[in-house]
Amino acid sequence: MNTVIIINLNGNAFHLEEPGFQALRAYLERAQGQLKDNPDKAEIMADLEQAIADKCAHFLRPHKNVLTATEIDAVLKEMGPVQTDGEAPAGTAASEQADTRTGSAPAAPKRLYQIRQGAMLSGVCVGLAAYFDIDVTIVRILFVALTLLTGGLWVLAYVAMMLVVPFANTGEEHAAAAGAPFNAQEVIDRAKKHYGEFKDGKEWRRHWRQQRREWRRKWHEGAYWWGHNLQRNVHTFSTGAGYGSHLGATLLIPFLAVLNALLFCLWVAAIVSLATTGGIFGWAVAGSVPLWAAILILMFVYSVIARPLRHARKAIYFSTSGYHYLWFAAWYEILSVGVLIVVCWFAYTHVPPVHDFFQHFAQNWSTMWNNVIDSFHHTASSSRTSSAAHTSSASWLNACLSAAGAAASSAFLALRG
Amino acid sequence: MTPDQKFGPLRKGLLEFLILQIISADKVYVADMMKRLQDTDFATQEGTLYPLLSKMRREEFVDYEWQESDSGPPRKYYKLTAKGKSQLAEFKNYWAYLNTTINQLGR
Repeated sequence: MNTVIIINLNGNAFHLEEPGFQALRAYLERAQGQLKDNPDKAEIMADLEQAIADKCAHFLRPHKNVLTATEIDAVLKEMGPVQTDGEAPAGTAASEQADTRTGSAPAAPKRLYQIRQGAMLSGVCVGLAAYFDIDVTIVRILFVALTLLTGGLWVLAYVAMMLVVPFANTGEEHAAAAGAPFNAQEVIDRAKKHYGEFKDGKEWRRHWRQQRREWRRKWHEGAYWWGHNLQRNVHTFSTGAGYGSHLGATLLIPFLAVLNALLFCLWVAAIVSLATTGGIFGWAVAGSVPLWAAILILMFVYSVIARPLRHARKAIYFSTSGYHYLWFAAWYEILSVGVLIVVCWFAYTHVPPVHDFFQHFAQNWSTMWNNVIDSFHHTASSSRTSSAAHTSSASWLNACLSAAGAAASSAFLALRG
Repeated sequence: MTPDQKFGPLRKGLLEFLILQIISADKVYVADMMKRLQDTDFATQEGTLYPLLSKMRREEFVDYEWQESDSGPPRKYYKLTAKGKSQLAEFKNYWAYLNTTINQLGR
């Protein structure tokens, strides 16, 4: 048995059980609180009361004229909390409904894919970069470095990956390429599964056909890429709307560009310094660290430092609401390259060691490469400091390595950003 | 964060324009609007809808008239004002523009 209270909802009388009445009163009081600054408060309250009355009427029958507390709760849940603008809907019934409808999808497992967007050859490096969540440039440098250091054998590893690793085609696969955390079991299972598929050769041929098609397509696309992009930039530039609001971004972009270019110069100088003298700007590296490891550490340090800058830049691009994305990107690139050129010129004319280095560039390159190669052969650090460690290695090999190194570094410069 | 939570603010911002769109077809009352939205991702409740409609009326995008109903009390039927119509057209244009922007950036 329960006490019954009679209430008036916008001109309609209802009999409610006491707890139901309390709940309804609390709801309406909260609504009043929410609407206290609203000029239409009285009208909205009347509308709400009428809506509640309509819903309550559904529960009444000729021989049932009292609303129970659970019925009132159901009505109030259906009504949902009263919200005005600027207030976060914290767990409304609507979102609860939505949650139960879709359910929380389990996070997709992370997979290694070849990603064509932004690929140089096949997309292996881009895929690896997405997989390990590092900058693709770092992956490319590592690949080039590994190729040089293994005397070209690493190319086979690249080719193998190119043939075996699947392409990310659907959006889902793209998501999975950078998706959930690393899962070793997954990799092993996939390797087993793929071994079975690839054994009979059919899969190989299909994959290879896809690869060739992709290369052909890219070859054709490359021809008009420049013109196309230019057009798009001009279009973006001419839309011009809301330019003033991006003042902050306009000021931040040059700052980031300068910072990034300086950081890059510093990093290259550090690597050169390390490879030629065995120390970073005169500061000797601990004797037990071989040169190649020191270079890898430098690469890692650079990627760690450069990463927040990169993210900041991307955040700025996105904050510019899409209109000026390309314009800002172009602006950034031009500034970066400009600063790079200025710094190089300044260093060349004003810093004697840099000047000397470029004066005898070919010789210095081979010295550097010899030092790096030697550090592999003798993990002891003894050979590192001897700048002229021309031991028994054939000179043609050095020449090849220097040429490849120069090509790699210029390719790297072209790829940055 | 599920997409549902993540896109919550987005849906919330769009609700006003969806209501304009619903009203543009015919004069409707609130229960109709809710029914139309019920099976979409924009399912909403009176607690949200009434304050929103009153705001839209203050901004002169919608107006209402009372109409007697056969079953129960008179109801408020909402309709678009001229301003509401142009607002809806503007929104549709902007939405199309956003779509092209998003697709272009993705390429």
